Amino acid sequence: MQVVKLSLKKANKIPIEADNVNPDNFAGKTAEEIKAISVWHGNGQFPLGDLFNVEVEGSDSVENTMIVFEGDVSRVKRIGQNMSAGEIEINGNVDMHCGFGMKGGKVVINGDADSWLGCEMTGGEIILNGNASYYVGSGYRGEACGMRGGKITINGNTKDYLGEHMCGGEILVKGNVGLLPAISNNGGKVVIEGNATMPASEMKNGTVIIKGEVSDLLPSYKEEGTEEVEGVTYRKFVGDVNVGGKGVLLIK
Amino acid sequence: MSEILIKNASVCDPAQGINCETMDICIRDGKIVDSVSENAKVIDAEGKLTMAGGFDGHTHSAGKINVGRFINPNDARKNLVPGLSGQVARTEKTRAQVGYNTPNTYAIGYRYAKLGYTTICEAAIPLLAARHTHEEFKEIPILDKMGLSLFGSNWQVMEYIRDKEPEKLAAYIAWGLKASRGYGVKIVNPGGGEAWGWGKNVSGLYDPVPNFDVTPAEILMGLAEANERLQLPHSVHVHCNNLGKPGNYATTIETMKLFEKVKPSRDRQSLHVTHVQFNAYAGTSWRDFETGAPMVSDYINGANHLTFDLGQVIFGPAVTMTADGPVEYANSRMLHEKWSNQDIELEDASGVVPLFYSPKSFVNAVQWAIGLELALLVKDPWKIMFTTDSPNGGSFVNYPEAFTYLMSAKRREEVISGFSKMALDRMVLPGIDRELDFYELAVMTRSAQSKIYSRPEKGNLKAGSDADIAIYDILPGQIDPATEYQKVKKAFSGAAYTLKDGVVVVKDGEIEATPKGRIYWVNAKVPENIDSPMQKDLDLKFKKYYTVSKSNYMVEDMYLENPVEIGTEGVF
Repeated sequence: MQVVKLSLKKANKIPIEADNVNPDNFAGKTAEEIKAISVWHGNGQFPLGDLFNVEVEGSDSVENTMIVFEGDVSRVKRIGQNMSAGEIEINGNVDMHCGFGMKGGKVVINGDADSWLGCEMTGGEIILNGNASYYVGSGYRGEACGMRGGKITINGNTKDYLGEHMCGGEILVKGNVGLLPAISNNGGKVVIEGNATMPASEMKNGTVIIKGEVSDLLPSYKEEGTEEVEGVTYRKFVGDVNVGGKGVLLIK
Repeated sequence: MSEILIKNASVCDPAQGINCETMDICIRDGKIVDSVSENAKVIDAEGKLTMAGGFDGHTHSAGKINVGRFINPNDARKNLVPGLSGQVARTEKTRAQVGYNTPNTYAIGYRYAKLGYTTICEAAIPLLAARHTHEEFKEIPILDKMGLSLFGSNWQVMEYIRDKEPEKLAAYIAWGLKASRGYGVKIVNPGGGEAWGWGKNVSGLYDPVPNFDVTPAEILMGLAEANERLQLPHSVHVHCNNLGKPGNYATTIETMKLFEKVKPSRDRQSLHVTHVQFNAYAGTSWRDFETGAPMVSDYINGANHLTFDLGQVIFGPAVTMTADGPVEYANSRMLHEKWSNQDIELEDASGVVPLFYSPKSFVNAVQWAIGLELALLVKDPWKIMFTTDSPNGGSFVNYPEAFTYLMSAKRREEVISGFSKMALDRMVLPGIDRELDFYELAVMTRSAQSKIYSRPEKGNLKAGSDADIAIYDILPGQIDPATEYQKVKKAFSGAAYTLKDGVVVVKDGEIEATPKGRIYWVNAKVPENIDSPMQKDLDLKFKKYYTVSKSNYMVEDMYLENPVEIGTEGVF
């Protein structure tokens, strides 16, 4: 097992783009080698060691590498981008694009996450023990597919456009979500335990289950009886008929 | 005085009938000359294919492409042709580049230059939005540029045609070219743009335009008459009615026939039909859709009054952008795709829809084949400009790939082997074994353009011509393009040298210098006694309908960098 502990030397206002910070890049490297990895800070590139205190214990493969962020990293973006294995633990708030394009491994955030959490991820798992902002598990602007695989669990609330253009994978939100969750999705599963507004518009495919209250249910859904999931009976809606969709929306 | 001597080049210059002969080319002050002094800088081109700079006669590179950019932000990160697409950080010589189908303006200049191209013609400038086109032109480095102005669904044009006022119509065209600083007359789905304002389309050459009581055929003939009256350097440039519909080959041939009676005022065609691939479809619906290329090319082989360009399809993502508003609506509905639509006030419509050409789709496979069938079935390469209607059929950065299709039957077979049986039944390409040589390719990519646009200083290596030269690291005779097509593709993907006005702009496939190109525009003279009554009619249009005033409408000189004004005398 290799454990890499990172903490900011001083809080930054100008964002740090930490797209190189993932187990794939850290596995088997010494503290000195990790400190030398360059990251963008504003419009310049700097060695990671200039911005973070780095402590390394052990040396191991990617699967057995864990990166731990101590303290708030709410201006550090793209942590865990494209990671394929291993684990990242963030003990604080994190900035945008955390876990972007993640292929495998696990990210645990003990704080809040900014927008675009787990965008375009294809595998692995993200557990957020806080609230998320906009566009969780969605696609890059203009793309037809967002998240394609893996699982995102949010133990708090999220804002609007959860799972936009999602094509696969699973998102579970224990709290409430904002406007238009699962908009334009084309596959995958979204489970919302709290409340939601205008869910699943333009859904072509996939499943959305909402256990809380639904406001402004869109008129473009056909009601087709009921369906039981894990012992609970939901009203079943199929649509969005506007786009000839075959998605399933289950609400109470 | 700067002099360059290109030594021992293997020159292919169809304008002079030179077919890959070893010779020297002399350059002084940006022009090709007969001889230079001993002090000339020497470029050793031994063993290298040398041609005039490429000339893309129909590309969407400024103006509407910007709508493509904002409808497809994800295009910025596409990198399907490494070296010619994707995100490239700025260097000391170049600015940052992004994108594939809708790259930023700088990337358009750099990438064309890398392919050995030095001149482009923007295919559609709406008069009202011409200022934006010129703003983009200004930021496209290296290349010489020109653009075609849209007149096919214009109220003033249709009224003059209806009222049989050909002189005023010619005066209006001259004014429109000046207002937009355009080079020629573009007609897109004549009448269809206006009909689209009412949610309709025109279905053929004799279907009247709503509220105007003129037919597409009358619009075409009226504009052709005005075009020849003004002695414009280019003929009318026509995107036919019914584009993209099965069975449209009949309309295309009908349109071509209509022009048999038009007498060109200069030594050029009287009609240029654009992206014919999209207009050479047989069948009656998408179910029985099949190639109409044999019928269209049969007609073209027997005709001498027209030229055309291909609109070749490249498999992968593309972005369609056209003034043909109803076609884009149909595309977006059929493909469930994003759609942008614009009404250009009194002038035209336009739309943008991204799409994906897949070899697995039988329709797309047949479309791909039709472009190549046209190129190979039409015997005379001087009638053809090679284009992909970039980015409608695919990005121009795929030209080298497309050249291999034209030059190698084996390469075509490779692609065709992935098609379904159904697709193969609907095309004639598998039975065609013609393979173009470098000479014919040079005709289609530079020399024909020079003739078609009446730009004698372009597309050839005669003394006196612009020193726009492409040198490719490949030697005809030593390679067989039919089998060694990967080498062909590699050589055309990054020129060993590209010279623009005698300046080395590309060396070994990398940008060396980024001089500013010229803007060509046409100023056709119209007598005062015809122009002023036309201006009065126009003033009324501005007063009653336009959202801008006439004085704010004209593209001013400050928008043009290195303008070249081509004067013509109208015959009245």
